[in-house]
Amino acid sequence: MASTEDKPTNKENTSSWKDSIYNPRTKELMGRTASSWGLILLFYLVFYCFLAGMFALTMWVLLLTLDDYVPKYRDRVPYPGLMIRPNSLDIIFNKSDTLKYEQYVKTLESFLQRYNDTEQEKNKDCIQGEYFEQNNNEEMTKEACRFKRSLLSLCSGLSDTNFGYSEGKPCVLLKMNRIIGLKPRGDPYINCTVKRETPIQMQYFPSEGRIDKMYFPYYGKKAHESYVQPLVAVKLLLTKEDFNKELSVECRVEGSDLRNNDERDKFLGRITFRIKVVE
Amino acid sequence: MGYGRSDSYRVATTQDKDDRSPKKKKGGTKDMDDLKKEVPITEHKMSIEEVCRKFQTDIVQGLTNAKAAEFLIRDGPNALTPPPTTPEWVKFCRQLFGGFSVLLWIGAILCFLAYAIQAATEDDPAGDNLYLGIVLTAVVIITGCFSYFQEAKSSKIMESFKNMVPQQALVIREGEKVQINAEEVVAGDMIEVKGGDRIPADIRVVSAHGCKVDNSSLTGESEPQSRSPDCTHDNPLETRNVAFFSTNCVEGTARGIVICTGDRTVMGRIATLTSGLETGKTPIAKEIEHFIHIITGVAVFLGITFFILAIVLGYTWLEAVIFLIGIIVANVPEGLLATVTVCLTLTAKRMAKKNCLVKNLEAVETLGSTSTICSDKTGTLTQNRMTVAHMWFDNQIHEADTTEDQSGASFDKSSVTWLSLARIAGLCNRAQFKAGQDALPILKRDVAGDASESALLKCIELSCGSVRLTRDKNKKVAEIPFNSTNKYQLSVHETEDPNDNRYLLVMKGAPERILDRCSTIMIQGKDQPMDEELKEAFQNAYMELGGLGERVLGFCHMLLPEDQYPKGFAFDTEDVNFQTDNLCFVGLMSMIDPPRAAVPDAVGKCRSAGIKVIMVTGDHPITAKAIAKGVGIISEGNETVEDIAARLNIPVSQVNPRDAKACVIHGTDLKDLSQDQMDDILRNHTEIVFARTSPQQKLIIVEGCQRLGAIVAVTGDGVNDSPALKKADIGVAMGISGSDVSKQAADMILLDDNFASIVTGVEEGRLIFDNLKKSIAYTLTSNIPEITPFLFFIIVNIPLPLGTITILCIDLGTDMVPAISLAYEMAESDIMKRQPRNPFRDKLVNERLISIAYGQIGMIQALGGFFSYFVILAENGFLPSFLVGIRLNWDDRAVNDLEDSYGQQWTYEQRKIVEFTCHTAFFVSIVVVQWADVIICKTRRNSVFQQGMKNKILIFGLFEETALAAFLSYCPGMDVALRMYPLKPTWWFCAFPYSFLIFVYDEVRKLLLRRNPGGWVERETYY
Repeated sequence: MASTEDKPTNKENTSSWKDSIYNPRTKELMGRTASSWGLILLFYLVFYCFLAGMFALTMWVLLLTLDDYVPKYRDRVPYPGLMIRPNSLDIIFNKSDTLKYEQYVKTLESFLQRYNDTEQEKNKDCIQGEYFEQNNNEEMTKEACRFKRSLLSLCSGLSDTNFGYSEGKPCVLLKMNRIIGLKPRGDPYINCTVKRETPIQMQYFPSEGRIDKMYFPYYGKKAHESYVQPLVAVKLLLTKEDFNKELSVECRVEGSDLRNNDERDKFLGRITFRIKVVE
Repeated sequence: MGYGRSDSYRVATTQDKDDRSPKKKKGGTKDMDDLKKEVPITEHKMSIEEVCRKFQTDIVQGLTNAKAAEFLIRDGPNALTPPPTTPEWVKFCRQLFGGFSVLLWIGAILCFLAYAIQAATEDDPAGDNLYLGIVLTAVVIITGCFSYFQEAKSSKIMESFKNMVPQQALVIREGEKVQINAEEVVAGDMIEVKGGDRIPADIRVVSAHGCKVDNSSLTGESEPQSRSPDCTHDNPLETRNVAFFSTNCVEGTARGIVICTGDRTVMGRIATLTSGLETGKTPIAKEIEHFIHIITGVAVFLGITFFILAIVLGYTWLEAVIFLIGIIVANVPEGLLATVTVCLTLTAKRMAKKNCLVKNLEAVETLGSTSTICSDKTGTLTQNRMTVAHMWFDNQIHEADTTEDQSGASFDKSSVTWLSLARIAGLCNRAQFKAGQDALPILKRDVAGDASESALLKCIELSCGSVRLTRDKNKKVAEIPFNSTNKYQLSVHETEDPNDNRYLLVMKGAPERILDRCSTIMIQGKDQPMDEELKEAFQNAYMELGGLGERVLGFCHMLLPEDQYPKGFAFDTEDVNFQTDNLCFVGLMSMIDPPRAAVPDAVGKCRSAGIKVIMVTGDHPITAKAIAKGVGIISEGNETVEDIAARLNIPVSQVNPRDAKACVIHGTDLKDLSQDQMDDILRNHTEIVFARTSPQQKLIIVEGCQRLGAIVAVTGDGVNDSPALKKADIGVAMGISGSDVSKQAADMILLDDNFASIVTGVEEGRLIFDNLKKSIAYTLTSNIPEITPFLFFIIVNIPLPLGTITILCIDLGTDMVPAISLAYEMAESDIMKRQPRNPFRDKLVNERLISIAYGQIGMIQALGGFFSYFVILAENGFLPSFLVGIRLNWDDRAVNDLEDSYGQQWTYEQRKIVEFTCHTAFFVSIVVVQWADVIICKTRRNSVFQQGMKNKILIFGLFEETALAAFLSYCPGMDVALRMYPLKPTWWFCAFPYSFLIFVYDEVRKLLLRRNPGGWVERETYY
């Protein structure tokens, strides 16, 4: 009892905030001596090294179970999303100001580099309208089907290097997300609409916005190195009345079993983007 | 002069002088000083005429109605001002904003602040901070309501104690006796009281007939005190001509002038003193405060560190501030407030079942921390009922049974001397049982009459059968009641034998007076002449019994010779015309207010639990010391300075006070002590008895103990205890015998008046303290796996591994039942065999607990969580190496073709579902590692294999949290409601190795701890 009672008085005498950081009498830094600090830090060092080792071990076991070509589960990506190039959901530019639309043109141009005819010559010319399945061969690497940039004709950037931006009739490229093993049934094609009463004229390349089945299925990055996604280009044939107005364009993948009406995922098989051309 | 004590019979050995001056000893420096001073009454020293003049009253006529009305308006009603009751909303707010809640409120406010910043700067702010703020607010409010209603329930029980019957008083006004409401009594009123009445105000006695008052609730004296018109002492509390408000008149009648009413009465002053006392924080409140400091320290440290890191990493100021707030808030253990409250409530309930009613939830733990108990004697340690304890006859001391249930030893009842003694005690006795109690056991029956006569009556009734029958057979012919000059009482009776016409004279009184009147003594039923040897034997017996603190009475009788006193002799009691000397001495009987049966055992247990038990009583030192010895407060073999002096036959001044472990300190000495001397006594004596202490002194003793760093519990039942009860860290009042004022002042009430319940309280208090540590250790551990995901999210830009909602699901969902179940954990060792905790060293939460919970177990848990996170992402296509730095694209709603390690492209929603699946898996992993955590938290030192898995609630908790986790993951609709997704069965097993590691690691740690007591492991990890 007595010893406990002595404590508070001692405390009052000796403790000050300075001492709690460094106490010169006991050589305590933050309440510990150097050897005490050393010991506890050493303990934690050893302990954490051990934990790191344990974690590394379990991660190593995890990586052993993984396949290099195909992820273990693909149920979270059953249907592909739809995206556009240029990579922006708000396309605004002045058709007479080169600087304003140059960025879009550049994105498109660089995106299409992989579709250059010289590149695509290496790929196989597959049979149209049929899945290009390559399950039979032993080899893991798969061949890809050819998708030439020239298929996009007016929007290929070959004839019109400005993709129609300078004349106020911009091209937008649409692509479906790559999903390993996806084989859409039916004949998928892209259809775009403008959300307003009077429709806008659009041109689709390839014709009718078709996506050919020969580009499916996809076998993954490692096996299918030279694979390129099929593209659909839409050229919005805007007229003078459409300039200076913000237009909301919605494109959907139609004609197949691919979902395009998911309530939550607004990019599943469809996309909505806004476009505004300033004169 | 004597000592304000009943003077009907003198206790042979009380030799102490007692003159407390009305002036006061040194007091505190508070503004309560005035109240701490002794009573300023002076009327007892005035003559009756002076008193009448002072109050403009008349001794016969009383006050006029007009005057009475005037005084009533001037002084207000004669009632105690109820202690300022805290309005209900203030109590509610105290629950809402007190202690732990503050932490959560700050958290909530920070959350709203963060949300406000986000809302102001971002177009589409994440709702997480808003939800978290709302949930935190809800938690505080719900827990606040819960504990408010819990305490309201206790105070309802308190309400029921209040005596609602309005009191009446008989006053004389304008010469007429009128019965009025006691509240309307004013100073100057002439009052009449009779046996059984409660005295309505402080009165100066004008005339009295055998009037005795029971002052025990005011002064702690166990015997009724006689009242008479004479001033017998300077001290108003000691003098016989003042009767006090709210004490009881036991017998006789008295008439007096009211001198004080309401709050100005002695009782009123004590009550006001009590309600004005500031009470400190409960130990557990201090511990929780300390805990909040630690948690806040850790939170702010982490927050600032990562704030700086975030700035260095190139985040904007606002983002860094949001992170800072997020980290600080993540450190707040949301569920802990509720857990602590529930744990305390459960213990309170458990204690209520054992007849300890706890008024304030936090007081549940206080008894566990208690290092000193200051106990009142009368009514707390003793039964507050005079009982015959010893008898001396046939030259031998016989012990009577004093236990409540008559389980004690019996003595030889066959002796003729005993029969004579019993006959005298029964006949020369005016006490009688009140009617209609035949069904009750004798000891429980109410008796009309003096306390010692009642004791005799009960004793005789118990051992020799009906006293009334004896009295009927021996008709009383004459009687001289007790008076203070004679110091004896005698009566003359007819004999039982109708043929024997002699009269029997029986007498009892102060032993030495009785002996003087005797010439013979009865030994073994035969009269023998009283010789020096027998006188010596008598003296020894008398001294011995007196030394036990007992009140001793002598008994003698005489069969009056028939020739002198024929049948029909007219005994004149005024002018005594018969023989009252040369009687035959029969024996002595001594009485004491005996200790309660359970007390010695309880005191012993307290002592082995390292708790110092101090007796603080208003009663006399001899009695106090005797009881202290009887109950073990002064243990066998320990001597006081006086004892040593007596043994060695040297003056008291020559004894080294250090030699004496025990000491008995008189109130008069106490007031002369300086603070240092007081500290010295409290520190150097282990066994202390304070006798003749005033309520103010009791308070000073408690303050003295507290000054020495002790956590003090005070037990008491009387009004005189209430200031000390209030000041104590925990005041314990008696539920049955306790006065209302004491119950108001106390934090805990023993519903069965059993001192032994305190031991239960200590045990429960210590257990809950230990178990709260475990609960907190368990709850805090999961903080690390909750914070680290956010830190890694900031630092290495990975998708968020654990979201706010899932954190809340852990803190307020799965962690709750297991954390609470730890309150049901059994003690690891005999907690009643160890010292009370040192409030300066043994903290509820200390750095070792934080080190274990955060630094060690928490880290393992975090790794388990991260492992499941990486498993899920990897199995869905995002390899760990791929994740670093992906955050910006990952969280960008416009990026809907994010590529994974396998070349697949993901829309925002698709990858978010994976992310939320990760949250769910991380959450499940925490549940899995918390299984191991709750099992290791069951014990702090022992192995789980020693402790066993007997805690059914804990096992239930394990199943409950698992079931809840499964429900949250698999219940349809959860993806929309809480954004939790079903897991593949294999993902449940990701954290298993880590759970196992936690168990093994901690078992090894505890093994080392047990192997090397006091070693490094214990110094660094024993919390």
